[in-house]
Amino acid sequence: QAGKAHRLSAEEREQLLPNLRAVGWNEVEGRDAIFKEFHFKDFNRAFGFMTRVALQAEKLDHHPEWFNVYNKVHITLSTHECTGLSERDINLASFIEQVAASLS
Amino acid sequence: MVSKLSHLQVELLGALLESGLTKETLIKALSEVEPYMLQSESQRAINALQTEKGESCPEIPNLPNGMGESRLSEDETSDDGEEFTPPIMKELENLSPEEAAHQKAVVERLLQEDPWRVAKMVKSYLQQHNIPQREVVDTTGLNQSHLSQHLNKGTPMKTQKRAALYTWYVRKQREVAQQFTHAGQGILTEEPMGDDLPTKKGRRNRFKWGPASQQILFQAYERQKNPSKEEREALVEECNRAECIQRGVSPSQAQGLGSNLVTEVRVYNWFANRRKEEAFRHKLAMDTFSGPQPTPAPPLTPHNSSSLQPPSALSPSKVHGVRYNQQPASEAESSSSNHHGNNSMVTTQTILHQVSPPGLEPSQNLLSTDTKLISASGGTLPPVSTLTALHSLEQNPHALSQQTQNLIMASLPGVMAIGAGETSSLTPAFTNTGASTLVIGLASTQPQSVPVINSMGSSLTTLQPVQFSQQLHPSYQQPLMQQVQSHINQSPFMATMAQIQNPHALYGPKSEVAQYTHTGLLPQTMVITDTTNLSALTNLTPTKQAFTSDSETHTESGMHTPVSQAPTIHLQNQDTTIQNLQPGPRLTSSPAVSSSSLVLYQSSDSTNSHSQLLPSSHNVIETFISTQMASSTQ
Repeated sequence: QAGKAHRLSAEEREQLLPNLRAVGWNEVEGRDAIFKEFHFKDFNRAFGFMTRVALQAEKLDHHPEWFNVYNKVHITLSTHECTGLSERDINLASFIEQVAASLS
Repeated sequence: MVSKLSHLQVELLGALLESGLTKETLIKALSEVEPYMLQSESQRAINALQTEKGESCPEIPNLPNGMGESRLSEDETSDDGEEFTPPIMKELENLSPEEAAHQKAVVERLLQEDPWRVAKMVKSYLQQHNIPQREVVDTTGLNQSHLSQHLNKGTPMKTQKRAALYTWYVRKQREVAQQFTHAGQGILTEEPMGDDLPTKKGRRNRFKWGPASQQILFQAYERQKNPSKEEREALVEECNRAECIQRGVSPSQAQGLGSNLVTEVRVYNWFANRRKEEAFRHKLAMDTFSGPQPTPAPPLTPHNSSSLQPPSALSPSKVHGVRYNQQPASEAESSSSNHHGNNSMVTTQTILHQVSPPGLEPSQNLLSTDTKLISASGGTLPPVSTLTALHSLEQNPHALSQQTQNLIMASLPGVMAIGAGETSSLTPAFTNTGASTLVIGLASTQPQSVPVINSMGSSLTTLQPVQFSQQLHPSYQQPLMQQVQSHINQSPFMATMAQIQNPHALYGPKSEVAQYTHTGLLPQTMVITDTTNLSALTNLTPTKQAFTSDSETHTESGMHTPVSQAPTIHLQNQDTTIQNLQPGPRLTSSPAVSSSSLVLYQSSDSTNSHSQLLPSSHNVIETFISTQMASSTQ
């Protein structure tokens, strides 16, 4: 049961994005997506984080684009259906923040 | 104890669990999933899981031997061929494998530290959050007695066991933190609320009042013993706020208090119990007053032979449940001096003695209203905890001075006053500590009965001559002395005075006096002061000098004489002595000869508890001496 996949309107962005920006998410240039880099103490923690996010992504049926090298994880969130940001991205981003916080 | 799992495995497991997977589901899945791993491995894993599961979650059914993934990750079989240790289950419980690893690291670090320091930390954490030891014992498997001794006294504990303790501690902290942050939200799996595991005693720990809440409640109780529902609810909020603050948590997260959350019902019960307690104490006091039959408390010289005296003015005033009986000194004859003001405080603390023994007995009574009451009632169970309310008593230090004054005044008018049972004047004295030192001593209650100490008045009453003469009991003396040492109250002073005077003033008969001295109730108490007095005497007056040169025995004998002397002399002396003493002669504690010791306590002499005895004796001696002189001159 995924959230709405419609593209976020300007007002919605104005309302939702500041919170994410405040914690380090940035808009990607050239596309309608948000991106953040995560650093962890070691690979184990990083992968544990990824596992959690992965499990949640499955549940939400919304998957991130990500890259991992040892203790770093780069995540880009965007919704394919609307080719841009949607509520799902916001939800997943929030969840990711929660997980990252509990792990660090 | 993360043991055999690799960090990643731990992490992954944690992730799985955190994703909402329950242990049961996990175990089940392991058995159902097609055999990916070697059977032996699976079996080992399953066995290990079973063991751990069994330890922590009894309701989980045993897994069949058989296929099943033994590992969450699809790596090769792990190298541990043996059973997983219990920690594994605990690991699984960890929401975050990373957290688990982190916890393990913390535990390791704690193990390196000085065990006693860590024990203190753990103990204070338990106190701060009002966690019963039982909970720790249930989850760690440690022996409760051993745990208690380790935390309180520093009894050594083996590393393995300490590791279990520290692990519990680390986990509990996390759990509690979660409780508070997710107050109200049902987070996660295993019961983060209340206790960590379904203990045999049920899910939740028994509620326990914290000291902060109790303070608030007692203050409210002082204001009004029967609060309305609205007031109770207000108290609920206040208490919960205080408890949160004590735990360093925002009051808005009160739900995190879990089993120790204060509710309106609990507040209601608390008030009901206090009211019952007070009624009970009152009842005991009344009983004692009117006629004590109850068996005297064993600890004290169970004198109780003498029946309780006719109800002396049982002072109706109660101070926060402090109750004191006052006995009219008048009934000097009637030995049973049981009724002396009882301080509830004293009582509770002393809880030992009975009132009965004459002479010193009264003091005993004073000492422990509660105890007395308890014993007096002969077996009636005191309500809830008669011990709780005493704290209020402790807060009346001012009473002391008042008492002293009263006592002094009382004594001055003469023994008569004392003997006559001018309880009224003495009454106030009883209020707080009431328990004269004598009483205390008698009660041998000991040292802690600080509150008791105040009752000078009580001592006076107890001192009634008749009583003294009869039962001076050696045992009394000792306690008395002890008391004196621990407190510096006027009461001992007054008590001494009373003692000394009573016999003299009221009861001319030497016999009494003689007895008085003999028995040594007084003498013993005096014992402490004795020597000192002598020296003090020297300093004070010529008479004293003469006295000083004498031996103790001399003094004693001297005492006899004075007894027969006119009371007035005594009074005068008393006056003098009392006044003299005021400046606080410091007498070294030495065994008091008799009487003298009793008199010496002065309120001013708060510095040396010991000395107090001395001064009193000092006075006494003086008194005696003068009497002596008088007599001799005659």
